[in-house]
Order: sequence, then structure tokens, then C-alpha cells
Amino acid sequence: MTDELLVVRAQLGERDALAELVGRWRLPVWTYVRRMLDAERADDVAQEVWLAVVRGLPRLREPDRFTPWLFTIARRSVADRLRGEYADRSEQLVSDGTTVADPVEAMVDRAVLVGALAALPVPEREVLVLFHLEDLSLADCAQICGVPVGTVKSRLNRARRMLREHLERGVGDE
Amino acid sequence: MSEQPGRTAQEIVDRLEASLSLRARVRAVTALLAGGLGAAFLSLLWLTEPAPLPGRTRLAFALFILICLAWAGYGALLLTRKVVLFATDQVVAAWIAVAASATTTGLLAVIAAERGTGLWPVLAVGGAFVAVSGALAVRAHARRAGLLRRRHELTRRARA
Repeated sequence: MTDELLVVRAQLGERDALAELVGRWRLPVWTYVRRMLDAERADDVAQEVWLAVVRGLPRLREPDRFTPWLFTIARRSVADRLRGEYADRSEQLVSDGTTVADPVEAMVDRAVLVGALAALPVPEREVLVLFHLEDLSLADCAQICGVPVGTVKSRLNRARRMLREHLERGVGDE
Repeated sequence: MSEQPGRTAQEIVDRLEASLSLRARVRAVTALLAGGLGAAFLSLLWLTEPAPLPGRTRLAFALFILICLAWAGYGALLLTRKVVLFATDQVVAAWIAVAASATTTGLLAVIAAERGTGLWPVLAVGGAFVAVSGALAVRAHARRAGLLRRRHELTRRARA
């Protein structure tokens, strides 16, 4: 059953569809929240996200766009806890407008990525989590973060560069 | 990554019960409708009094109207901040509002006609309540019908 069908059924008031939706997206939502916040707050914030989802579900007009909508809500809940770390920043857009294939991307597996994420600033960390851990498209990441696609690409490039430096430092220290 | 969420899906859903329970939804709709229609009923009853009322009676009317408005505000707060009305709930709630508005208007119109005063204000205010709740019912039906159509399409596509 597709997410869209589950969302439509939940909007009609079918409780089992809502429960299935929660079951299907519980781990991705928690993973995003946990990667952005510490372990103590992750469960409570994830619960807040689900409360906001349930309250907003009757007003969701595009059930086929559930995923970016869900992560927009999750991002808002996380941002409430991280106020100050989302400081306005001047963004350097990549010159050619494309995300360059990065050798690090091929080498680094998810476990290593997760371990190094905590060292990244919030804006870079969140696009990396959304794009690599949640497998969302660049357009969806841009919608969730409320920035242009070019900004997402530049943040991704910067995040990879920082990640590479972090990993190289780790290797150098061994 | 060995870390796992601290709550199961069922635990998450259980904690949403305050927003999803039938009792909470009925309470919110009842408070809003009873408060709103009660305030309208008392106001129009007061306005259609043929003779000026004594001071204490006016004070009592005013207090009762305030109490009704407080209940309506509480119901509105619950519906906007606490409980969730899904498409089917919205249809039911809208029809309850139509029935309650029409009944209250009819009752007040009979009283006003018997007293021979204030019939037009009763019909105007009552008519506005009925019209607004009727519009909400039409919108709720259209929304639910759209969702049912979409569910049917998606179910058929999933089976194909």
C-alpha cells in the first residue's frame, strides 16, 4: 500500500491507516531527530512531531507529498530545540549548479557517516541526514529546509568537504 | 547504528489518544455548539423581551451569555489546538451544527412570533447560523467525497 493511500485513508478517519503510517515512518522520523539532537530529547521530540502530524493531517492538501511535509514538521520541531544554531548564514552557491560526484561519498558507509555527523554544523548536518540517511531528493530537501535547491547543493558540498576533513583527521590520528 | 527509538509505534499512537479519542472530539464539538447557540439564544431572548427588564434580570442574562461564550471559546480552543476532526468527523460535526442552528432558530422564531416582537432579528441571526453551518456541511461533504474518490483510485491502481 502506498503512502498516499495510507494518508488518504487516515484523512478519512481510519485509525488503522494512521497506525500503519506511524509504524512505517517511526524510524525515519526518529533517525532524523536523533541525528539532529541528543539521545535524551530524541524520543520526546519525535512524539511531538507525530502530534503535529496528526493535528495537521486533515489540512494536508497533497497526500502524495507526505514525505517532505512530514520532514518539514520534524525540522520545525528540531529547530525549536536548536534555536540559535540555525543562525543566518551567507550561502556560497556552487558555480555550476550541480552536485559534483564526491569520492568520499563512495567510500564512506552509513555507519561512519552517522558517527561523524555530530561534528557538523546544524545546516550542513540536516541536509546530509535528509539526503543521505532519508534518501530524499534535492527538491524535497530544499522544500523541507525552506531554501533554494542551489543552497542545498552548496550545503551538501560543504558538508562532504567537512566530513572528508573530519575523517582524514581521524585517520591521521590513528 | 545500534541505537533504536525508545517508543514503539503502538506507544506513539497511544500517546496521541488525547487528540484522537471520540470522547474528546464529542466534548469539543458539544462545547462549541452549546456555547455558541446558547449565547445566541439568550441574546435574542433578551432582545425580544416586549418590556424593559429589571436590572437584576439584565445582569443575569449578561452573565449567562458570558458563560455560554466561555464554553464556545473552550470548544473552539479544543478544536483548533487539541483534538483532530478528520473528514468524516467534519461531516458529522457540520450536520450537528446545521440541526442545532435550525432547531434553535425555529424555537426562537416561535417565541418571538408569540411575543409579537423581534421576529426579524431572530430570523436574520438564526439564518446566518444556519447558512454558515450549511456552508461548512457542503464543504465537508465535498472534501470527504474527494478523499473517497482518491482512495478508490489508489486502491484500484494498487490491485492492478
